[in-house]
Amino acid sequence: MTLIGQASRWLGALAICLVILLPVVWVLSISFKPPQEWLAYPPTIIPVEPTTSNYIVLFQPGNPVGGVAAMVSSAEPVTQALINSLIIAPIATAASVLIGFFAAYAVSRYRVGGTFMPFFTLTTRMFPPVAFAVPLLVYYRMLGLIDTQLGLILMYTAFTVAFSLWMMKGFIDGVPRHIEEAAVLDGASPWRVLFTITLPLVRGGLAATALFVFILNWTEFLFALVFTSREAITIPVQVSHYVGAVGRFYGPQAALGIVASIPVVVAGYLIQRHLVTGFTFGLVRE
Amino acid sequence: MGEGFIILKGLRKEFGELVAVEDLELEVEEGEFLCFLGPSGCGKTTTLRMVAGLEIPTAGDIFLRGERINDLPPQRRNVGFVFQNYALFWHMTVHDNLAFGLMVRRAPRSEIEREVGEMARWLELEDLLETKASRLDLSAMQRVALGRTLVTRPQVLLLDEPLNNFRPALREIMRGELKRLQKQLGSTMIYVTHDQEEAMTMGDRILVMSAGRKVQLATPRELYRQPNSLFVAGFIGRPPMNLLEVTYAREGDRAFLRKGELAWDVTLLRHAIEGGLRGEKAVLGVRPEHVLPVEEAERRGLKDTVVTGKVDLVQPLARKKIVDLFIDDTLIKMVVSSDFPVAKDDQVEVVFHPQETHLFDKETERAIYNGLS
Repeated sequence: MTLIGQASRWLGALAICLVILLPVVWVLSISFKPPQEWLAYPPTIIPVEPTTSNYIVLFQPGNPVGGVAAMVSSAEPVTQALINSLIIAPIATAASVLIGFFAAYAVSRYRVGGTFMPFFTLTTRMFPPVAFAVPLLVYYRMLGLIDTQLGLILMYTAFTVAFSLWMMKGFIDGVPRHIEEAAVLDGASPWRVLFTITLPLVRGGLAATALFVFILNWTEFLFALVFTSREAITIPVQVSHYVGAVGRFYGPQAALGIVASIPVVVAGYLIQRHLVTGFTFGLVRE
Repeated sequence: MGEGFIILKGLRKEFGELVAVEDLELEVEEGEFLCFLGPSGCGKTTTLRMVAGLEIPTAGDIFLRGERINDLPPQRRNVGFVFQNYALFWHMTVHDNLAFGLMVRRAPRSEIEREVGEMARWLELEDLLETKASRLDLSAMQRVALGRTLVTRPQVLLLDEPLNNFRPALREIMRGELKRLQKQLGSTMIYVTHDQEEAMTMGDRILVMSAGRKVQLATPRELYRQPNSLFVAGFIGRPPMNLLEVTYAREGDRAFLRKGELAWDVTLLRHAIEGGLRGEKAVLGVRPEHVLPVEEAERRGLKDTVVTGKVDLVQPLARKKIVDLFIDDTLIKMVVSSDFPVAKDDQVEVVFHPQETHLFDKETERAIYNGLS
C-alpha cells in the first residue's frame, strides 16, 4: 500500500473516532468549567478557569456552584442515587442474563415455544416504553412497588430479557450440537452438559450480553423517572435534578455524567478479555 | 434373540416427509469391523445415530447383546461415538477431554489419572495433555476424539467418517492405525464412510446403502466380485466398472449379447439369463482391469469377441496406465501395465476377460450373473 493510501486510512479512522468521542470530550470539558463558561461563545475545549466545584456540589449540594451565589442546587446528594444504581442495574442484569440464557437454551435446543414465543418476547421492545408506563403504574401502586429498588429491578429484568434471550440464542446456536451429543454419549446428564459444556463455550457471549444489558439498565431514564420519587431514584434521574431558578446546571450534570460512566467503563474493561474469547469462537470447526 | 451382537430389525427413520432410512435389517457380529458405505444422504449416518441413541427410530427395533435398547437413553448404552468433526470440548485441555467420560462416571481420581495417562501414551498425546483442544492440529484432534471415546471402554465403537479431514497420505496411515486398534481391542466397530476404497481396505464386511435402503451386505471381496446390482457395481472399484448397454437375442439354439456390430456368445449362460432378465435389454459390465489387450488374452489362453477401440486418453500411474477407449461412441476404461505401448488415437484390440464379466437387467438393475462365463 502506498504511503498516501495508508495516511488517508489513518485520517479516516481518526475522523470517525473524533465524531464518536467528541461528545464525551465535550462533557468532560464542561464538567471542569465554571458556570460562566458553560455556554460561552466561542466555546473552548480546555476550560479557561478549571474548577472541581461541579464535582463537589454533587456530594455537597449546599455549596454554590463555582462560587456563584445564585447557583445553589436543590438536589439531594448524589450518594443515594449512586447506591440505588449500583444495586439495581447489576442485579437486574444478572437476572436478565440468567433467565435469558436458560430460555435461549430451551429455544435453541428444545424448540420450546416454536417460532412464535421467541418472537413474541420482542413485543416488549416494539412499543414505545411510555405506552407501558401508565398501566404498569397502576399495577405497581397496587403491589406497593413504586419507588422501590425491587420495583425497578423487576421492571428492568422484564424489559431486557428479550435482548438476553436473542443474543444468547445466537451464541448457543453457534455451539455445534455434536459437542453436546459427545458429552451425552460419554454419560453426562442434560444438566451436566449444560453447565460443563455449553455454558463455558458461550462464556464470551454471556459476557457480551451482560455488558450490553448492563448499559441499558444503567442508563435507563423513563421508567426510573416515572416509577421513583425519592427512595429509589437512579443516576439518570438524578441528572435531571440539577435545575435551578436560573436555569440548568450544566456543569454538575456533566460531572455526574462522567462519574456515572466510570462503572460502565470499568466493567467494559474487565469484560473485554472475555469479549475477545467470545468473538474468536468461530475457531470452532464445524 | 439371535447371535448378532447388534441387530437392527425393520429400522425406519423419517424426518418429516423425508424417509432417511427404510426397512433396514442388519446383524453385526461381535468383534466385527463393519463399514456403512454409500453416497452422502443415503442414511448411513442416521442409522449410526440411531444405534447410538441420538436419533429415535420412527419404527423398528435395535438390539444390543440381545437386549432391546430402543428406549435406553444414549448415556446408558455404553456406545462410543467418534464424530466427523471430532466434537471436542474446545474449552478444555486434552487431559480434561480424555478424562471427561470417567469423571462423569465418578471414577476414582487415581483411576482417572492412570487411564488418561495410559491413553495419552498410547495415542502419543503425552506432550499435549495441557494444551487446549482448540489449539491442536487435525491429527491430534482425531486422536483425542478417539481416545476420549475409548477411555470409557465402550462395547461398541461407532465412527462417522473420522478420516474426512485428513490429507491422503495421513489418511492411509490412520486407516491402518484404526484397523490395528480395532483388532487389538477386539471391539465391535461400525465405520461410516462414503469412500469405497476406505471401506474396502478396512471393513470385514460392508453394508452398501442407497437412498435409505440396504443394497448389499457382503465382504469386500464379494462386493468386488459379485455385486448384486448396477449400483454396487458402479460404486465399488476405481476406476469404476465399464457398463455397456446390450441386447439379448436367441438365434436358433445359440444366444448372444449384441451391441451394434459386436456380439458376445452367451449360449452357455442362456438359462441364467432367461431366468433373470425381464425384457431383452441388459447391461454388460466389465472392470477396467479385466479389459485385456488381445495379445495378453491370447497368451493367457482366453478367447472371446475381439473389440476394437480408439484410444482417447492415456493416464500413466506408477505401475499402471489407465487408458480411455472409444468403442463406437461408448467410452470404456482399461487398466494395463505401464510397459504396454499405447498412445492417443491408436487403434487397440481388446478382449473382455470371459470369466470376469457381469450382466445386469437394465430395468431392475439387479445382477443376472457375475463372472461365470
